[in-house]
Amino acid sequence: MLIPFLNIRIIRRQNETKLSQILPVLIALFAALLFSAFLVWLAGSDVKVAFTALWEGAFGNIRQITETLNKAAPLILTGLAAAIAFRAKIWNIGAEGQLLSGAIAAYWAITTFPNLPPVLMFIVILLSSFLAGALIGLLSGYLKTKFNVDVIISTVMFNYIITFLLSMLVDTVYRDPESYYKWSPKIPDVAQFPLLLEKYRLHAGIIVAIVAAFVIYLLIEKSPRGYEIQAIGHNPTASDFKGINNAKTILFVMFISGGVAGLAGGGELAGLIHRLRVDFSPGYGFTGIIVAMLAGLNPIWIPFTALLFGALLTGSLKMQIVAGIPVALVYAIQAIVLLFVITAEFFTLYEIRRD
Amino acid sequence: MSKSSQPQSHEAILLDVRSLTKRFPMVLANDQIDIIINEGEIHCLLGENGAGKSTLAESIFGYYQPDEGEIRFAGDIVEITSPSEALKLGIGMVHQHFVLVPTFSVIENVAMGLDSPGMLLNLDAVEKRLTELCQDYDVEIDLKARISDLSVGEQQWVEILKALYGGVKLLILDEPTAVLTPQESEKLFGVLKKMTSDGLAIIFITHKLKEVMEISDKVTVLRKGRLIDTVETKNVTKAVLAKMMVGREVVFHVEKEQIQKGEPILEVRDLWANNDRGQIALGGISFALYENEILGLAGVAGNGQKELIETIIGVRKATRGEILIGGEVITHDSPRETMEKGLGHIPDDRIREGLVTEFSVAQNLILGQQRERQFRKGYFLDKEQINRHAQSCVDSYEIMTPTLESRAKFLSGGNLQKLILAREFGMEPRVLLANQPTRGLDVGVIEYVWEQLLEKRRNGDAILLASEDLDEILNLADRVMVICQGRIMDVFDIQDVKIEEIGLLMAGIEDASC
Repeated sequence: MLIPFLNIRIIRRQNETKLSQILPVLIALFAALLFSAFLVWLAGSDVKVAFTALWEGAFGNIRQITETLNKAAPLILTGLAAAIAFRAKIWNIGAEGQLLSGAIAAYWAITTFPNLPPVLMFIVILLSSFLAGALIGLLSGYLKTKFNVDVIISTVMFNYIITFLLSMLVDTVYRDPESYYKWSPKIPDVAQFPLLLEKYRLHAGIIVAIVAAFVIYLLIEKSPRGYEIQAIGHNPTASDFKGINNAKTILFVMFISGGVAGLAGGGELAGLIHRLRVDFSPGYGFTGIIVAMLAGLNPIWIPFTALLFGALLTGSLKMQIVAGIPVALVYAIQAIVLLFVITAEFFTLYEIRRD
Repeated sequence: MSKSSQPQSHEAILLDVRSLTKRFPMVLANDQIDIIINEGEIHCLLGENGAGKSTLAESIFGYYQPDEGEIRFAGDIVEITSPSEALKLGIGMVHQHFVLVPTFSVIENVAMGLDSPGMLLNLDAVEKRLTELCQDYDVEIDLKARISDLSVGEQQWVEILKALYGGVKLLILDEPTAVLTPQESEKLFGVLKKMTSDGLAIIFITHKLKEVMEISDKVTVLRKGRLIDTVETKNVTKAVLAKMMVGREVVFHVEKEQIQKGEPILEVRDLWANNDRGQIALGGISFALYENEILGLAGVAGNGQKELIETIIGVRKATRGEILIGGEVITHDSPRETMEKGLGHIPDDRIREGLVTEFSVAQNLILGQQRERQFRKGYFLDKEQINRHAQSCVDSYEIMTPTLESRAKFLSGGNLQKLILAREFGMEPRVLLANQPTRGLDVGVIEYVWEQLLEKRRNGDAILLASEDLDEILNLADRVMVICQGRIMDVFDIQDVKIEEIGLLMAGIEDASC
C-alpha cells in the first residue's frame, strides 16, 4: 500500500529476523514513554521531576526495589496465565477471579489445617491455591468444549462471581470479629511465606513466580504438549486431523492457566497481605494480560515485563506524592504501553519502505 | 530460444510488461520478464513450481512490488501498488488459496468486495445479479450457502463470480483447475471462452499441458524465474512445451508391474455419515481395500470422497456402519487412534487440514508425531533430531525453503504439498488415504509421488487414491471405484475400465436409472 504525501509503502514482510521481532517492541516502549511524558506535562506537572520520582519510587533504594519485586511476583504469575491460554488462542480473561479463588482456597486450607509443619504448610498453600484457580479455569474450559460457551464471557462472569463470593466471605464466615473492617483474621505465622531479606517485606513469592515462569517456558516451548497448545491456537482443524484432541488440549490449557493465576492469589495471601479482604488484588489479573502481551506471550520475557509493571505500580506512589500526579494517570500509562505494543506488532508483520 | 516478436498490430494490447524483475531473499523469482497480453485472449503462463509464475502474476496484481521494470495497462504506464489499485484498473485475480470469509454466504462474500455507496448493503441486488451471472454461465451454486459448507471447487466458483461481478478487463487465474473435476474444468473453459468473446483477457497459470493446448491462444513459458519464450499455441505441441518447461524430455507413463493382491486390510461396511450441514453425505458405502493394492476413487468433487476419508480417519462421525482395519473395528476411533493403527492421510485442502502454516517447516514435518519417542529427549522435544528429520525430508523431496526454521506460510503451494507428502510417507502407514495427492505439483514431482505410491504398493501397503485426474487413477490404480452422491456406483478392475462408462457413472448415470 502506498501512503500518499509521505512517499512510503507498507509491505508485508517476506522474512522474519530476531531484530524485526524485537525492535518494534523496544521502539513502542520508548514511544509510550514519550507519550506518557506528554500526558504528565499536560496534567501540569514537571516531567523531569515526575519521572525521577517514578524511577526512585521503583528502584531508588533497597526498600523500593523489594516492593517492586513483591508487585512483580503476582504479575509474573497472572502474565503466565494469560500467555499460556493466549498461545492456544483461548481468551482467558479470568485470571483475576482465578487469583481470588486461589487466595480463598489457600485461606481455607490454612485455617482448616493450622498445625502443619512449615514446609508442609508451604506446599499445601501452593497446592490448594493452584487447584482452586485450576478448577475455575477448567470449568470455563468445560463450558467451552461441552456447550461452546465463549471463554471470554464465562471467565469474565466468573470474575464477578468470585469477587462477590470473596466480599460475602469476609463479611460472614471469615469476618474478623475483632476488627471494624470487613476482612478476615490474619493467617498464623507458620503459614506466612519466609522473608528473603531481614527488615523488608520481600517474600518467597517472587521465587515461586520465577520457577513457574521457567516451568511454563519448558511446557510451552519445549514439550510436545506445548507444541499441541500452539498447534490448536494456529490451526484447530489441521490439529484435529493430525490427532491432536482440541477439547482435551483446551481443558489442559485452562487448568494450567487458571492454576497459575490461582498461585498468585496464594502467594499474595501467604506472602504479603496475610488476610482475605475485599480489595485483595489491585487488578493483577487484568494487568497480567498486558504483561503477557508485552512479552510477546513468551514466558521467558514475562518476568522482565512484570518487573516493568511492578515498577510502574510502586514508582507511581512516589510520583503521586512528589509530582502531584493523579493515580488515574498511572493506569493510563499502563494502557498506553499496551496500545503502543499492539501497534508495534503490526510492524513485525509489515515493513515500511521509502519510495 | 529467442524472445517472441509476433506482430501485435491488429490486436489491441491490454497489458504490456517490460523487463520485470522481482527478487526475494535468496531467490531471483522473476528475471527481466517481458509479456504482452492482448484483449480477448487467453494467455497461459506455463512453468514448474518455483518457475516464477505466481510471483509474476502477483506483481501484476499489485500484491508484490517489482524491483525493476514497468507495466503498461491499456496504454498507460501504471504503478500498481496494491490489489485494490489493480481492481480499480480492472485487473482481477483468483488465487490458489482462496480469500473468502468462511462464515459468510456466497452473496455476502461477493458484496463484501464492493465499493457500495451509502451505508447499507443491498444484498437483494447482489443476489439478483449473481443469479443472472450463474444463469448466463450455467453455474450451479447455492448462493445462500456458507463458504465453509462448500467444496473447494465450489469455492473457486465464488472467487470467479466475485471477479465477474466486479467487471474486470483482465482476469488472472492461478492454477484454477487444480481444484476442479474434469467436468468442472470443462465448464470453466466454456465460461472463460465466453468471457473472452466479450473482450476480456485472461492470464491462465497452469502446469498442465493438456489445458494449455485446449484453452489458450498464446502461451508464455517460464523456467526458474526466466522467460523461455512466448508462442502461439497452434504452432506448438505438448512435447515441445514440455521440453521448454522442464528443459528435458518427460516420461508421462510409469511402469506398474502386476502384483498379486494380499489380504483385505481396510474394510468399510454399509457406512453412513452426514456432511457439515447435517445432510446425508455417505449413503451406505461398502468396499474392501487389499494389501498390495491401489484402489482409485473416481468422482466429481463434493460427492462424498472427502466425507468418506474423514469418516475413516475419525474426524467425522459415522452414523451407521462399520470400519475395520486388519479385522479390528475402528468405526469410532479418534484420529490419533486410527493414525496409531496405521492410517495415513493426505488431505485435499492442505492449508486448512494438513498444515500449521505459522509453524516452521521442521515443526510441520512432525505434526501428529510430536509425542513419538524418536522426536523426544525425556519429556521434551528433541530439536536436533527434529531438524535432522526435517533436513532429510527437505533433501529427498526437494522442498524449496530458505531454512528449516522458516514458517511454512512462506512456501509455495507445491512445496507445501511436498511437505505433507514427506511427512505422511515418512510415517509409513499401512493404509494411505490420499485425496488429490498430486494436485498442484509439477511434472517431475508427480512422477516422484507416483513412484512412491507404487513403492508402497510393492511393500504390501494399501492405498485409497481419490483423484479428479482420471489419468492419475488409470496410471496407478488396480481397481477403480466410482462414487456419486455418497454411493458407490460400481467397481472395475483396471483392465476392464472404459473411460466413457466411468464418466457416465461419475455423473450418476447408471443404466438410465438415477
